[in-house]
Amino acid sequence: MLDFFYRQKPVPKKKWISFWVRVFLAQVYLVFTTNHFPWLTTIVVLPIFAGSLIFLFPHKGNKVIRWYTICVCILELLLTTYAFCYHFQPDDPLIQLAEDYKWINFFDFHWRLGIDGLSIGPILLTGFITTLATLEAWPVTRDSRLFHFLMLAMYSGQIGLFSSRDLLLFFIMWELELIPVYLLLSMWGGKKRLYSATKFILYTAGGSIFLLMGVLGVSLYGSNEPTLNLETLVNQSYLVTLEIIFYIGFFIAFAVKLPIIPLHTWLPDTHGEAHYSTCMLLAGILLKMGAYGLIRINMELLPHAHSLFSPWLMIIGTIQIIYAALTSPGQRNLKKRIAYSSVSHMGFIIIGISSITDTGLNGAILQIISHGFIGAALFFLAGTSYDRIRLVYLDEMGGIGIPMPKIFTLFSSFSMASLALPGMSGFIAELIVFFGIITSQKYLLIAKILITFGMAIGMILTPIYSLSMSRQMFYGYKLFNITNSSFFDLDHASCLFRLLFFYQ
Amino acid sequence: MEHIYQYTWIIPFLPLQVPLLIGAGLFFFPTATKNLRRIWAFSSISLLSIVMIFSIKLSIQQINSNSIYQYVWSWTINNDFSLEFGYLLDPLTSIMLILITTVAILVLVYSDNYMSHDQGYLRFFAYMSFFNTSMLGLVTSSNLIQIYIFWELVGMCSYLLIGFWFTRPIAANACQKAFVTNRVGDFGLLLGILGLYWITGSFEFRDLFEIVNNLIKTNEVNSLFFILCAFLLFLGAVAKSAQFPLHVWLPDAMEGPTPISALIHAATMVAAGIFLVARLLPLFIVIPYIMYGISVIGIITVLLGATLALAQKDIKRSLAYSTMSQLGYMMLALGMGSYRVALFHLITHAYSKALLFLGSGSLIHSMETLVGYSPDKSQNMVLMGGLRKHVPITKIAFLIGTLSLSGIPPLACFWSKDEILNDSLVYSPIFAIIAYFTAGLTAFYMFRIYLLTFEGHFNFFLKNYSGKKSSSFSSISLWGKEELKSINPKFPLLNLLTINNKRKSSFFSKKLYKIDGNLTKKIRSFITNTHFDNKDFSSYPNESDNTMLFPLIILILFTLFIGFIGISFNQEGMDLDILTRWLTPSINLLHSNLNNSGGWYDFVINATFSVSIAYLGIFIAFFCYKPVYSSFQNFDLINSFDKTGQKRIFGDKIITIIYNWSFNRGYVDAFYGIFLIKGIRGLAELVSFFDRRIIDGIPNGFGVTSFFIGEGIKYGGGGRISSYLFWYLFYVSIFLILYYVYID
Repeated sequence: MLDFFYRQKPVPKKKWISFWVRVFLAQVYLVFTTNHFPWLTTIVVLPIFAGSLIFLFPHKGNKVIRWYTICVCILELLLTTYAFCYHFQPDDPLIQLAEDYKWINFFDFHWRLGIDGLSIGPILLTGFITTLATLEAWPVTRDSRLFHFLMLAMYSGQIGLFSSRDLLLFFIMWELELIPVYLLLSMWGGKKRLYSATKFILYTAGGSIFLLMGVLGVSLYGSNEPTLNLETLVNQSYLVTLEIIFYIGFFIAFAVKLPIIPLHTWLPDTHGEAHYSTCMLLAGILLKMGAYGLIRINMELLPHAHSLFSPWLMIIGTIQIIYAALTSPGQRNLKKRIAYSSVSHMGFIIIGISSITDTGLNGAILQIISHGFIGAALFFLAGTSYDRIRLVYLDEMGGIGIPMPKIFTLFSSFSMASLALPGMSGFIAELIVFFGIITSQKYLLIAKILITFGMAIGMILTPIYSLSMSRQMFYGYKLFNITNSSFFDLDHASCLFRLLFFYQ
Repeated sequence: MEHIYQYTWIIPFLPLQVPLLIGAGLFFFPTATKNLRRIWAFSSISLLSIVMIFSIKLSIQQINSNSIYQYVWSWTINNDFSLEFGYLLDPLTSIMLILITTVAILVLVYSDNYMSHDQGYLRFFAYMSFFNTSMLGLVTSSNLIQIYIFWELVGMCSYLLIGFWFTRPIAANACQKAFVTNRVGDFGLLLGILGLYWITGSFEFRDLFEIVNNLIKTNEVNSLFFILCAFLLFLGAVAKSAQFPLHVWLPDAMEGPTPISALIHAATMVAAGIFLVARLLPLFIVIPYIMYGISVIGIITVLLGATLALAQKDIKRSLAYSTMSQLGYMMLALGMGSYRVALFHLITHAYSKALLFLGSGSLIHSMETLVGYSPDKSQNMVLMGGLRKHVPITKIAFLIGTLSLSGIPPLACFWSKDEILNDSLVYSPIFAIIAYFTAGLTAFYMFRIYLLTFEGHFNFFLKNYSGKKSSSFSSISLWGKEELKSINPKFPLLNLLTINNKRKSSFFSKKLYKIDGNLTKKIRSFITNTHFDNKDFSSYPNESDNTMLFPLIILILFTLFIGFIGISFNQEGMDLDILTRWLTPSINLLHSNLNNSGGWYDFVINATFSVSIAYLGIFIAFFCYKPVYSSFQNFDLINSFDKTGQKRIFGDKIITIIYNWSFNRGYVDAFYGIFLIKGIRGLAELVSFFDRRIIDGIPNGFGVTSFFIGEGIKYGGGGRISSYLFWYLFYVSIFLILYYVYID
């Protein structure tokens, strides 16, 4: 990778640069350092813009495209980090880096972006996971031009979603997200890819209808002018029945995405068929969009309905934790098993959100980020080991701990993280969710005891599936006939991964 | 020297450096790190020695000044909720610190030799040091959350170390079993902690005790809920200390390397449950039900462990069941409120059991060179016997450990066990009967192990003669290296044997896992042939290296003398023994009765009774397993009892029942296997069936139905205008007919 950077190094500036150029550079510098520079727009637009440039590339093989995409991802990540470091005040609770451009006049549609503490985590997570997913997509050779473009388009859609402050923009970004996933799934998936892709698009598009209805309902309520601005919508109050209807509409959309049982069945199928890089994006970010929406819209815009619904949500969350944790050991496919573990972990987010305490909400947000890392990392490792042994079913595997000690180590540590071992991020998130319930004023003693009990049962079930997964993959002994040179160790694509992930 | 306490926080962090450095090194510079392996071992031992010196210094101050120190840092999550981390230094902590560090140092020294030919040498030391870190953190922690964190971490270390030889499927199963069983305990612990937090609003021990006492006095707390919380907390201790319902993981945990069994599964980690109960005793002591429950669990475990140890074939498994039984004694003592005695037994048992495990490890190490690396063979007592002559120092060590555990004065366990038995006599006669009976059983099974292992003749070859074992004799290579490094096929076998004579153990342990099965078989048959007339000493197990014997000898010293810290020499009871002086602040905290009732006279009476029971057990063991030359038969317990004609059948039946009970591990594992594991598997199958067929079936059904409807409509609408017209006119005419009919 280094040599590439050397090639891209800008030419040293000559001494005879003219005065006007210097003035221009100074102006550029000033723009970059002051707050007026449209940081968020740049961050949102850059990936898809850079991605569309891929099609202009000459046909020189896949390598150039890969490196280009990775560089774009890294550049984007650095840009995001820079913007957040220097232009974001962590102690300010209001929306920052706000931008507001009028887009469509007659129904007051704005390109309105802005971030606060809630969205900063998912945005950084997106940058990180997408970069890693691009690394994971290294073996993709078929039509890699389109593949990488779709990855970058998804990048834009996700960041746009997390940073949009306009309800319709939110919806548009939500939809923009679906198309790349559908294409990635239907073109680069496994054997049953068309079935899975159709299922995915039907489920999520079905959810989107409810989202659209909700968006229109909320924006047209009570005034002649459609209001789409989230800030003004927060202060709006609704009739109780209407609020409940809106809540249900939004909830169905986010429940499909999160997923919440019984709308979860698209997830294992999609995970089972998708390429590993797509799986990383799905598990790492896409599911978090549902949780983000739940917090951003259901909780902030419709607080009364939320407090009405939250007991039911808690029950659903508890059932989901246990149900998915029980379903997971019954799966033969490694990816499906990890997918069900994601579903189970999403239960903690639901409970955290519906505990209606600051602590519980903090726990849910932390769980969003920590599961983003853990789930993506598990898929990454599953993918890297799949590239080497070409086996999908767990009962065919076994004994790959000897030839692949590093993957073994990483996989064990991430499955430990996934079962919330103290010292890993998952533990803190789950513990805070637990405290959120305990300190919640809203619920009765017995209800709290039962919910806590159910969550703790999930805590027993988690090691059963995650450790038996690692046991079936790595423990034992088996002779491999594959004499591939790249078989025995992590290759260069994974080096970066190792470095990056170890800060967790 | 007041300020030395301020640096207590450094204790857990000192050994932490080793695993971090080894881990980083193995990841980034594998070869360089592997070349420096002895340096890593040395550094971990020396860091641990620093900790030991430090903690000894702390304890001396503790004895002299009798004060408790606590430092806390706070970590705020948000405004109304913060976690505090800190350390608490009280007598309990300092005792545990000394215990952990001494045993750990000895075990590390020992395992340097034991693991020296293993590929995972560095990994082993990294895990061990990490375990030491978390265990030291556990005993110094000042609040329940911290305890929970380290509690899980020691569980993880145990998981990693049981599954250390991960190519063995048994080890893979055992480590998962251990983790899941412990997780059940953690589940209870976490819920208990949360419940207590809810009641009291604090995690910290001292606040907790005060608030609970106040609440109980003013009767403000829902006592049922409080009992539930206390019970859940105790569940954590039950799982970690392998008490009755959750003991199943401990015998299986013996799949790990033997030093692990000595350190983690005998001396320190399993004592963590005892530690927790001792730490929370002020909490439990206000509720009599819980105390009663603790002692009942303890006594059940005492008896169960002892009976299960009776007929095990595997030497380590027998020791594991014995550990379980002894932990039951400690739990019993805690349940009776005898805080001091429980800790006393914890200390003495830790040293004696570590000695026994290290001794058995030394045996296994010697046996492995002969019988192969499979634990079925190298740990099988059937194949041992007559090792007295060949491994004299190990034999002495093992004998001393056995005597100590059987309760023969003046060895360590005698003092503590005797006190527990005395206390149980005061507490409840039924418990006392069971406890005394088990003391006899303990002596019996310990001497059974000793006699089968060291007396009689070396049985391995006898087994081979029967022809049963020879075919299945492919020594499974440890790391499954299948690359046939054909070590000189033309190497004459005779030459091999001469090398064998000189340095047997090293030769075999180095090379055995590189020999392919065929060659091994050849060597084996060769050795058995030469050995036909029992003259060639070369094929007997050999004494281990000095590095392994040194910790054994130190532990012998500990076993001999550690008992004296708990004996009061002065008759008046004025000058208390060291342990009591040490524990004074905590005992005052407990308002425990400190009256040393009686004195030497009572003590001698009781001691005579318990010692005679122990001797009875030993005598029966001699009677059953006395070394006769047909040592083959006397393994079977049943055969040795055929003395009298009439009573024989009845006696046989009882003995068969006991034997089966013990051999099948009290049917507890089978029960769990049938009900829990199958239940969960069945449930998982059911749920995933439900998920696939019903929840997923509904959308699929929609899909299929819409497909058929679409096909049907497609079929109906064939695109022919004549048919459209026909149907149009048909319906219009029907409509018109109906219209006219009803109008008229």
